[in-house]
Amino acid sequence: MAEIQKTWRDGALRLSTLPLLLLMGLFFVIPLIMTALLSFQGTQYYRLVWTWDLKVWTDVFSQIHYWTIMWRTLMMALVCTVLCTILAIPIAYGMLHRLSRWSDHITLLMVFAFLTDAVLKTFGWVLFLDRSGVLNGTLEAIGFPPAAVNVLFTPNATMIGMVYNLLPYTIFTIALSMARIDGDLVLAARDAGASRLRAFIEVTLPLAKPGIWAGAVLVFVLSLGVFLEPKVMGGGTSPLAAELIRQSFETRVNWPLGAALTLVLIVIGAAALTVFGAVALWQARRVAHD
Amino acid sequence: MVSPIIKATGIEKYYGTYRALSDISLEVANGEFLALVGPSGCGKTSLLKILAGFEDLSAGSLVIDGKDMAGIPASARPTRMVFQKLALFPHKTVAQNIGFPLHLAKRPKPEIDTAVRRMLELMHLKESYLNRYPHELSGGEQQRVALARSMVSQPPVLLLDEPMSALDAKLKKSLQAELKHLHRHVGTSFVHVTHDLEEAMMLADRICVMRAGRIVQLGAPSEIYYRPADAFVAGFIGDTNLLPAKITRAGDGFRFACEILDCAEPLLSADQVAPGVAAGSEAALMIRPEMLRLLAQGENAECTIVGTVNEYFIRGASIQYRIAAAGTEIVMDIPGTSTLPAKQGDAVRLGLALGDLFAVET
Amino acid sequence: MTKSKGIPMFSPNRRTFLQGMGAAGLAGAGLMPRSAQAATSMKFMCWEGYDSPDIIKPFEEANDVSISIDLITDSPGGFAKLAAGAWRDFDVVATDSPWVQRMGPAGIGEFLDDAEFADVYESFYPQFRAPFAPLDFDGKTTGLPTRWGWVGPTVNTKYDTLENWRSYAPCFDPAYKDKICVLDWGDWPIMPMALYAGIDPYKELDDAELNEIRLVLRALFKNTRAIVGDLSVAQKGLMDGSFRTLIGGGTYCTSALRKDGQKEIMSIVPEPKDGLKQGIIWMEAGGIVKDPVDDAKAKALLRDLTSPEVAVKLAWTEATCNLVPSQKAEALFTDEQKDVLQMDYMWEAWDKSHFHNVAPNIDQMLEIWSQELAAAR
Repeated sequence: MAEIQKTWRDGALRLSTLPLLLLMGLFFVIPLIMTALLSFQGTQYYRLVWTWDLKVWTDVFSQIHYWTIMWRTLMMALVCTVLCTILAIPIAYGMLHRLSRWSDHITLLMVFAFLTDAVLKTFGWVLFLDRSGVLNGTLEAIGFPPAAVNVLFTPNATMIGMVYNLLPYTIFTIALSMARIDGDLVLAARDAGASRLRAFIEVTLPLAKPGIWAGAVLVFVLSLGVFLEPKVMGGGTSPLAAELIRQSFETRVNWPLGAALTLVLIVIGAAALTVFGAVALWQARRVAHD
Repeated sequence: MVSPIIKATGIEKYYGTYRALSDISLEVANGEFLALVGPSGCGKTSLLKILAGFEDLSAGSLVIDGKDMAGIPASARPTRMVFQKLALFPHKTVAQNIGFPLHLAKRPKPEIDTAVRRMLELMHLKESYLNRYPHELSGGEQQRVALARSMVSQPPVLLLDEPMSALDAKLKKSLQAELKHLHRHVGTSFVHVTHDLEEAMMLADRICVMRAGRIVQLGAPSEIYYRPADAFVAGFIGDTNLLPAKITRAGDGFRFACEILDCAEPLLSADQVAPGVAAGSEAALMIRPEMLRLLAQGENAECTIVGTVNEYFIRGASIQYRIAAAGTEIVMDIPGTSTLPAKQGDAVRLGLALGDLFAVET
Repeated sequence: MTKSKGIPMFSPNRRTFLQGMGAAGLAGAGLMPRSAQAATSMKFMCWEGYDSPDIIKPFEEANDVSISIDLITDSPGGFAKLAAGAWRDFDVVATDSPWVQRMGPAGIGEFLDDAEFADVYESFYPQFRAPFAPLDFDGKTTGLPTRWGWVGPTVNTKYDTLENWRSYAPCFDPAYKDKICVLDWGDWPIMPMALYAGIDPYKELDDAELNEIRLVLRALFKNTRAIVGDLSVAQKGLMDGSFRTLIGGGTYCTSALRKDGQKEIMSIVPEPKDGLKQGIIWMEAGGIVKDPVDDAKAKALLRDLTSPEVAVKLAWTEATCNLVPSQKAEALFTDEQKDVLQMDYMWEAWDKSHFHNVAPNIDQMLEIWSQELAAAR
């Protein structure tokens, strides 16, 4: 099929992107520049002072604990992304194929859960996971020792909360991707001699890749910014980047420091996404040349 | 007799309370080309899916290649399917698509490679296509790749689900010819679903006409064409004249009375009457358009019809006339000539041989 | 109805970290019917409790004003917002007293004439009467006290004795491992720990003293089960015994539980250690932001908040109950309410406590806090 080649020499095309450019400029680029400028200032007596120096940056690069927290945030985000993806693939598949009769109901329930305030859901988890909570109460009733599951206020609880709150993003994007796969392709694979699992691996999974990548990127970006889960479920003892930034802005009223840490987080996120993209591209090329 | 490759006995299929197939019994001989024909919703695709193993049967039994298929999944059946929309894997190259069944069977790579190249040659596909993706090929080429994929592991039975329905007429014709050629060449049994009886007549050894989940008629193309079981089968291909008639038994044969048709001796032999009609059902006389001819002044025939020309169409090899006769429109095809034998509004007399008549159930 | 809409189980509290909730409160405030014909429209920045319709509505009607509320989620953050320029939009603020006092040097507050408020001071306990040092800047008064309480060990006597908590020592006792809850409320948990380490955090500190604070925090984190920002989570742990105490908390955390009948839960202050008082008195105050729309009405709001009738309402809110400086209000409390507020203990607590202020080295202490926290796990 012939594609219409569009170039940037097309004046009308440039004009048509103007609203988007304005929007991006207004709500993305300008705030980012302002944040960058802010990081070269100082604070005195809880007020911003226009110093134009590198004090905050030397501070950021000399304090190991900022990097400990950044590294921890990155690792948590990666683990969360992997878990969400691994969990979402069978859930999305099951929703579409095995439980297709209930798929509308499941989707509705998920949307309800998804739209419920994250604060509420996270506190729900506290009640559930607590040493004297619902889970342990149930376990005790069926013969386990008291407080068998002692996970609340640990990084594992943070991870549970993150996966729980972010899982819908991967489920929805992957299910959307899978729903678009022609059912005949799976039948064709089955007909050619593939078991259900094999057909899934050979056909469904590779064709759902766009959804898998999209979901992973979404979850990764969102999980870099979580603050509720480490704070409420993780018990605040291993804070992540968002909490560090909040503390800098609010409690310490050190806006330049907060701005610098924000930029560090953005750079880390962007770098990770670049690696993501490179891997995806490399994979696509490899498939093409195989 | 050699045992059939497919033996279906009393197959029923229900979707909830809806009965999609009732009492389907048929046999396909080894190497035979069988066409399943019928209007959409007649159950032909359901039957094909049952043969392929994509659907379970609700009752009855199915034996393919000597094995009962009960509980055997699609992946383990001696059948391969060519899908209506081809179902080529968009993320796999032509080579990967064709070699996929062998790849699944864990055959060694050189063997797969050889088999793929052999199929490529058989399907008249260029070797440079091997590393292309399906979307880079034309519709006809995709068709061949789909065929190649389903044939590569030399299955005893090939199931075709209207794979040519999306192609334009010219391409369809050439692919039909190739399919026929391929069938002769490989000796695999083909079960081909189509709603196009013309295609079925051209390709198949036998045709199974289905309607509303039942087999209406199963026979050779000429049988279906000239001795249709009922008005439905008769009307399924081309233009057919069905003239209401009263059929009564007369000795070994039958006597008929038809308002439009004027015959000196309105008698039919026993094989000119469908079994249902012989049993006393309402009947119509079937006259294929090409059986009629235009009578010259004073010329006579065993049977004649008098009427006025409504319209005519010059179709190259033939001319089609539509003639009004006693309130009914009669269709007649005569060989094309450079001089038109009759024009609009002309009064005409049509003749036909008594032996060309066939009485069908209505 | 209070603004804790949607989450009846977890009423938001003043030190909640959940900005979302603050935003919800803000939206709620915005939804409150504002009489279109009101002569003046005022903006009031405050902790939750001050925004109760019981308090705001009658004032609006009596003074022909409409008040829009901006809830504080973090005192320094609120101050920084004002200092960064938001003072132009605001008329009155009610926050932790050091931040009201700091509006003086920052030049974003209006000073009060003590003589003009003589009758108000008259209604206060003697301890809060003018000249009142905590709200004094350069001999001028920056605000009026509104609510107060003390910071010290919070004890559930069902699980522990008050005797054990005459000192913060159990925080570092291996027997209390995983039983200490530290409140994630900025400087609040740091101050008592510094006092336990023998350092007065309210004076200028040298490196050796800061290092002492580092060591005491490090030791504290060893026994800490959770660092909790939300009052309800902290209260729940205190009730079920999984937290033996809340560090950085006090009456603010326990009085609402006592109100609900859980009298076994109490807040006390530890005994002085090596001559250093171990308790801390916190106080909230109301102040007028520079250039209010209507000076008289801003003053009227301050008077209203400190009047005995409103003081009782301010003391008695859904999420927390607190003491008020108004002596006249004491007569309006029932005996039950007095018991809930531990009024029989309040002057003992006062005598054993420092008065909270912004520590000169607080930024370094907060940095030490996050360094130690990052290294803890």
